[in-house]
Amino acid sequence: MPYVVTENCSGCRFTDCVEVCPVSCFHGDGDRVYIDPGACIDCGACLPLCPVKAIYEDYDLSGEQEKWIELNAAIAPTLPTIRKKLPLLDGAEARRASIGF
Amino acid sequence: MDAETTTIKGACPQDCPDTCAFIYSVKDGRLIDVKGDPKHPVTRGRLCIKLNDFTAHHYNPDRILYPMRRVGPKGAGEFERITWHEALEEIKRRWTSIIDEYGSQAIMPCSYLGQQGVLNGISVGDAFFNRLGSTIAEKTFCGVGRDVGTHLSIGPSEGVDLESTVHSKYIVLWAMNTLSTGSHHWPFIDEAKRNGAKLVVIDPLRSKTAAQADWHIRIRPGTDAALALGMMNVIITEELVDQDYVEQYTLGYDQLAARAAEYSPERVSAITGLSAEDVRAFAREYATSGASFIRLGTAIERHRNGGDAARAISCLPALTGAWRHVGGGYLGISLNAFPLKWDAMCRPDWIQNGTRVFNLNSLGTALLEAQDPPIKSLMVYNSNPAVQAAEQERIKKGLAREDLFVVVSELFVTDTARFADILLPATMQAEQTDLMFSWGHFYFSYNNKAIEAPGEAVPNTQLFRLLAETMGFNEPEWARTDEEMIRDFIDWDSPYMEGITLEKLKENGYMRVGIGDKDTRAPHAHGNFPTPSGKCEFVSSTAAHGNFVPPPFRAGYNGFQDGGYIDPVPNYVPPFESPESSPELAARYPLNIVSPAAHGFLNSQYANEPKQMRRQGDSVVIMHPTDAEARGIAEGDAVRVFNDRGGFVGSALVSNDTIPGVVASYLGHWASNSRSNSAVNSISSDRQANLGRAPTFSDNLVEVAKAQVV
Repeated sequence: MPYVVTENCSGCRFTDCVEVCPVSCFHGDGDRVYIDPGACIDCGACLPLCPVKAIYEDYDLSGEQEKWIELNAAIAPTLPTIRKKLPLLDGAEARRASIGF
Repeated sequence: MDAETTTIKGACPQDCPDTCAFIYSVKDGRLIDVKGDPKHPVTRGRLCIKLNDFTAHHYNPDRILYPMRRVGPKGAGEFERITWHEALEEIKRRWTSIIDEYGSQAIMPCSYLGQQGVLNGISVGDAFFNRLGSTIAEKTFCGVGRDVGTHLSIGPSEGVDLESTVHSKYIVLWAMNTLSTGSHHWPFIDEAKRNGAKLVVIDPLRSKTAAQADWHIRIRPGTDAALALGMMNVIITEELVDQDYVEQYTLGYDQLAARAAEYSPERVSAITGLSAEDVRAFAREYATSGASFIRLGTAIERHRNGGDAARAISCLPALTGAWRHVGGGYLGISLNAFPLKWDAMCRPDWIQNGTRVFNLNSLGTALLEAQDPPIKSLMVYNSNPAVQAAEQERIKKGLAREDLFVVVSELFVTDTARFADILLPATMQAEQTDLMFSWGHFYFSYNNKAIEAPGEAVPNTQLFRLLAETMGFNEPEWARTDEEMIRDFIDWDSPYMEGITLEKLKENGYMRVGIGDKDTRAPHAHGNFPTPSGKCEFVSSTAAHGNFVPPPFRAGYNGFQDGGYIDPVPNYVPPFESPESSPELAARYPLNIVSPAAHGFLNSQYANEPKQMRRQGDSVVIMHPTDAEARGIAEGDAVRVFNDRGGFVGSALVSNDTIPGVVASYLGHWASNSRSNSAVNSISSDRQANLGRAPTFSDNLVEVAKAQVV
């Protein structure tokens, strides 16, 4: 039952999630992060820390959101592992406010 | 206008080695969030999948909020609300009448670590029941077998600091699924791995932790001591012993070597199922890596030879000199670094001479067979034996006795609470004050009360103050506040407490005990074992006293200890139940079963939370494809697991995650939520392991068959 990063992550990079992850299963690009489901051990540490509620357990996703399960699995292994908090992207706070958090 | 949100320091109450530091957020007197404290050096702001929803657990609508009296048949779980006064008067009337007719030993407590606090945890009722003169309940559900075993070899050592394991070069997690049951050790292991350490996990199952290992060693349940003795055989034969360490800091090398000589890799292979070449390779790697570290899980003890398995394993680091290195050695529990005044907590001075002892692993037998006097009343708190203890059917039969007066203090109507005559409402952690020790790391934590209790729930400390007043006890101890009790229960003058005050603990939430620096500490680099000889005792000088349970696990009492024979040197004894050791039984019940902790439950706690139930699903029965095929069982089939003691129903999960001949089903599912109205311990024997009267949950044979659809 891996955790999944959905579209709210895009454009913020608060990355509170990556430092708390005990198995370093977050991978990222210039825009956002993804979870490698092969490495995620279902500890749930990241979920409460995400300030934009981008992280879900896979069975909590439905409809349009379900695509993120496959996208995380496909994209995460192609990107570098992110262990340390990254600099916040420009406009992240404004974006966070715009999506209601 | 919005009220201010305040934050309050707290700590996790659960029976887990990690004891996370909490930050409660409270607004308008309501708990709105529980998060990990990011500053805690071990738990680092992360909770776990069980505790992430702790706020919701406090406001679960099924909480017991008021005292209640049974109105339906025994076990039906039908109650009506009464006042505290009525509840206490009923208890007084029934207990007084029982004491008059049968004597006070007809009353027995049943408790454990459903709450782990110094105040509200394992010892909270001991002083009361000792004062009352009840039968002593020996509570050895978890860990005591392992710890008595290692007590014989290395004494009550505090063990390796898990924070030091970043320096380890070879890490062995033995009988422990760290990622599900103590995952805050993992970042330290991860760092060691990045520094080049190899991770070995020993488990018959491919657990979440085993799946992350560099080498997963799979052996048959109950054969761990044979593997440890086989490692010694190789280490000695191939001259990998640290002779200097052995000469200076150990006792009885020749006898240990003679015992190990009986366990050639070929013989060990036949016993464990591991190849002789792997036994050799593991021994060589372990002995030649310098800072080799073994962390031993509680599951090691859950079979006939459990205590000796732990004892044999705990001899390895002295044989190879691993203790010389920072991050090298052994960790079972870190509890010995916490200077608790157990006698002040338990009050053994109030126990009357000749008081008898019953071990709670055999609760069903005590309820059904005890004589002179029989058990006429049971008070259950901090525990749920109807699910957690062995011989589930006998426990239920005992609890259902019409003449047994059952008092239960609980958060929820558990499988045990359903049998209560009087049900009392208990508080959850944010609603009470407590001081938490840890059995994994070296930090004391203070749990500040954050919110008022709901309804009429009371902390366990207050419950026993009320009961003492009700029974007419007038010693000054019953008038103490929680804080005064904490002051009385800790040896503040101990070197472990240097620099620690209650005020600082309250403010900071946690403080490290005085144990030495994590980056330089090698506790037994120069021996200094807390044993009678000061050495690691391969031949135990304590063994001659016979088998025992440490007094804190028996209300402080040291009378009527088991006293059974202990081999002076660690040995391997085959399981009670296995195809090799009991072929006649195995003809009917050919499969061994293990019942590990579920990822989403903490024992049976949280197994009533909808989110955790959805996460964990119904009971599963993990079976190897060859065992499933031989029985015509396919993935997802409803199957019944059974033996002469009982049975339960689960869904087959056909997988190579287990080995042929071994099935697994997770502990914690509530019987009342299960298809068969029973859970995995319905098949468990109440026989005890060879040391410390540990349970034998991993030493049971069963058969599995397709179930009629229920």
